[in-house]
Amino acid sequence: MNLDDEIRDHIERETQENIERGMPAEEARNAALRKFGNITRVKEEARAVWRHAWLDQLLQDVRYAARMLRRDPGFAAIVILTLALGIGMTTAIFSVVNAALLRPLDYPRPERLVWLAGYEPNLKRDWADLSDFYQWRAQAKSYTAMAAYEYQEATLVTSAGGYRVTGVLTGGDFWAITGARAALGHLPAPDQQGAIVISWDLFEQQFAANPRIVGSSISLDGRPATIAAVLPKSFRFQFPAWWQATDPHPIEVYAPIPPLAGAGRYGQVVAALKPGVDPARAQAELQVLEKHILEAPSPTQRLEPSLARVEPLQQTITRAARPALLLLFAAGVFVLLIAAVNIANLLLSRATVREREIAIRAAIGAGRMRVVRQLLVESVVLALGGGAVGLAVARAAIAVLIRFSFAAIPRLVETSMDGRVLAFTLAVSIAIGLLFGAGPAFALRGINLHDALKAGARSSAGPQGMRFRKLLVAAELALAMILLAGAGLMLKSFWRMSAHPPGFTPEKVLVMKLRLAGPQYAPNAVQDGTERYVRELLRRLEQAPGVEAAGIGNWVLLAGVHGLPNDPTPTQTHVLRITFSSPGYLQALGARLLKGRWLTDRDTGKAILMNQSMAREAFGKADPVGRKLSVPAPDTVVVGVVADLQYSQLDQAPRAEIYVGLDGFVKFLRTSTVAVRTARDPLTLAPALRKMISEIDPSQPVYNIETLEQSLSDSIAPRRFNLFLLGSFAAAALLLAIVGIYGAIAYSVAQRTREIGVRLALGAERGRVVCMVVREGMSVALAGILAGLAAVLSLAPVIAKLLYQVKANDPWTLAAVALSLAATALAACCAPALKAAWIDPAITLRSE
Amino acid sequence: MPRWPGASQIPLDILLETVHTPPRMSTKERLELMQGTLDLLILRTLQPGRAHGHAIAKAIERNSEDVLQVEQGSLYPALHRLLKRGWITAEEGTSENNRRAKYYRLTRQGRAQLLAETTKWERLARAIGSVLRGKAAVRP
Repeated sequence: MNLDDEIRDHIERETQENIERGMPAEEARNAALRKFGNITRVKEEARAVWRHAWLDQLLQDVRYAARMLRRDPGFAAIVILTLALGIGMTTAIFSVVNAALLRPLDYPRPERLVWLAGYEPNLKRDWADLSDFYQWRAQAKSYTAMAAYEYQEATLVTSAGGYRVTGVLTGGDFWAITGARAALGHLPAPDQQGAIVISWDLFEQQFAANPRIVGSSISLDGRPATIAAVLPKSFRFQFPAWWQATDPHPIEVYAPIPPLAGAGRYGQVVAALKPGVDPARAQAELQVLEKHILEAPSPTQRLEPSLARVEPLQQTITRAARPALLLLFAAGVFVLLIAAVNIANLLLSRATVREREIAIRAAIGAGRMRVVRQLLVESVVLALGGGAVGLAVARAAIAVLIRFSFAAIPRLVETSMDGRVLAFTLAVSIAIGLLFGAGPAFALRGINLHDALKAGARSSAGPQGMRFRKLLVAAELALAMILLAGAGLMLKSFWRMSAHPPGFTPEKVLVMKLRLAGPQYAPNAVQDGTERYVRELLRRLEQAPGVEAAGIGNWVLLAGVHGLPNDPTPTQTHVLRITFSSPGYLQALGARLLKGRWLTDRDTGKAILMNQSMAREAFGKADPVGRKLSVPAPDTVVVGVVADLQYSQLDQAPRAEIYVGLDGFVKFLRTSTVAVRTARDPLTLAPALRKMISEIDPSQPVYNIETLEQSLSDSIAPRRFNLFLLGSFAAAALLLAIVGIYGAIAYSVAQRTREIGVRLALGAERGRVVCMVVREGMSVALAGILAGLAAVLSLAPVIAKLLYQVKANDPWTLAAVALSLAATALAACCAPALKAAWIDPAITLRSE
Repeated sequence: MPRWPGASQIPLDILLETVHTPPRMSTKERLELMQGTLDLLILRTLQPGRAHGHAIAKAIERNSEDVLQVEQGSLYPALHRLLKRGWITAEEGTSENNRRAKYYRLTRQGRAQLLAETTKWERLARAIGSVLRGKAAVRP
């Protein structure tokens, strides 16, 4: 019952009483109203009881603050822009954190979704066997639904032509778990064969948004299929996608997992837990199930039951990106703190100017709390202004980040400024306003009215205020030092990764992907189309103008290899990479032969090359050339050794790798890489090569044409993203810290103009004055830099996770960063120092 | 701001409130009512138990034999003041003829306050009374 109802009730009761006393109805009501008095005023007064105490004064403070800021728009602009930089950067990185780590998946009941996998200790990654998945799904009791999926590039052939699409194979309750609804058609039942679902984008781009394609027949990798449904534009595939690094495209096609022919088909498994079941209980059940599967007469898999794991899906998705994102978020907060310290310094300088004004307010009766609150309200108003501009900065920054590297962080494309981000910005603005407002409020707490009101009196903030300000500047430099050191270390990691051995020129190598799909290229085809295609491809490439070397190759990872000659025990296992390639492939990529000879067309599959890492792993220090090995087939002979070459993933140590000719292994080339070394800029050659290759078989397009340099650079996209962000933060921090130290020293010089004038008048040399000012600034700067250095060393374990072949306490990097920061600080001190030295004592002394 | 005589001894926060003119009384008989006083009267009215706004107004009128006539509306800001200080609480309820109404009730703090204010008021009244009587005695 609110006040209005209550008053209405009151008047009705009074009217009723009057009527009972014998008044006519209308008169009774008028009397009641008269007796009640002015209703509007009563309401206002009753509400004012609650509001009066704080809201009115707050509004008054805000009005006053706005007037103060309007009077000095330059000051307000500097503060707001500085804050906009800090708040904008922090908001941008928070938006990324929000999208990648905090926001739940768009699927129903995301908190109940879990990830089911076994851990493969040799490959150091999760995996699940799909035939196990079907047993889990049939027998496990902990879940309401379970689904499997696996990455599948495919060639989609319609009457209009063939396209290479990014797809996933799905099995089990995939559509139930995602909660997807079809925009057109009907989503297929679990494991309904031959029914595919396409994304809205593919529907628009390849099918011209023609609704009649639903139900029509197409061919997917040479197998007939029907388009059963089109997904709505809003649907996103959000499950963990290990292929993101190499194929950063949205999923276009969802096809059913084909019937399994035995074991050895891998996939990812997700499930929805039943209410009340926690992941630990589900994991215990899964391990028991897995043990039973192993005990069966013909176990389908080799997953170690104790390594089977059930964990919240959100955790799986964010695990890789979390440390880097949290570190970057901390870096953003550092930039914001530096900005806040700068503004606190600026406000402190102003506080001395405003001492008189505040003394007058205190003299006419403002309580100390009232004055402090006024100052805080002023800084919060400023901070909110900064926050508003900061939102615009963040918007622009997010757009840049997404364009820069949309696949570097999971769900980065979904980054947007939702309610949580806005609430964050608001909270941060208010907090930072209170933080930098606290400095001046503190400095003015014990202001002496008598001194402050005397005209022309010296500032009473005096030496103590100056010490506080120097402390702030030192803190600022320490924070900047941490950010710069982080950026410097990451930059050095980057150099380490991109440092190519002599002779390796990835910018002159064109790489492109080829996927042979269709019945004529199937492994069991009557006439082996793949072999014919490859022979024709190589013949044409070698004859093409401008091509120095060309080849085709593909690699597979072999886990759990036993019995290399150098093994101390026969049970030791190795993970090897086997590259099946035509003879020209390695030369085209730029490998360097160390011993022996290259492979030729005449070699059989029994002759192999290996890289240095493999030679060390298999033969130790002995010369491998001419020795025998049982991988990939018995009695294989090593004919040569090449230098380790990182041509696919820059931030991984080179793997032990062997290279085998195509004799007998052509079937491994269904998805492969074509490498072409050119004499001139390879990209100018790309259109001609694409045309030439498509002439061999128009239904087999090449895709992802880029230089090897681009491809390598893409392989470290997350690191590039981290370096870009941390580098931006460090640059902003450096700028702000330099402005901060300059401002503090310039202010100190201004305060001491008279003293310096006296010194000069008494015969001090100008050089000595410069030294004095520089010494004052540099002692602060060096203290800050040393504190920052200490902080970096104590943070080393955190930073180390993001580095590659660089130690977090790398002395050269730290020394270089500290020296350049000190040099910049020196430059910032020099300007005010020179100004101090050219003070004219005559003018200074006369003016006061 | 005019202060009540003798206020230096008795720190009672009493301020003159707007002068009301009750319709049924002559100007000679009108009584100025003070803010603190109205609060005290409300607290006293609520002492026996809960009551709604209209009932409080009626009770004050009845118990003062219609001498204290306030504009009934000024009761509500006073009620809110007391609510804010935590001396009374409000609750919803149904009245005798099944109408919904908002009921006010004293809190423990309110009872303590009523006791303290009543004591103060009695001391004040006694002090004023003795001053007035004393004045009469020294008249030449």
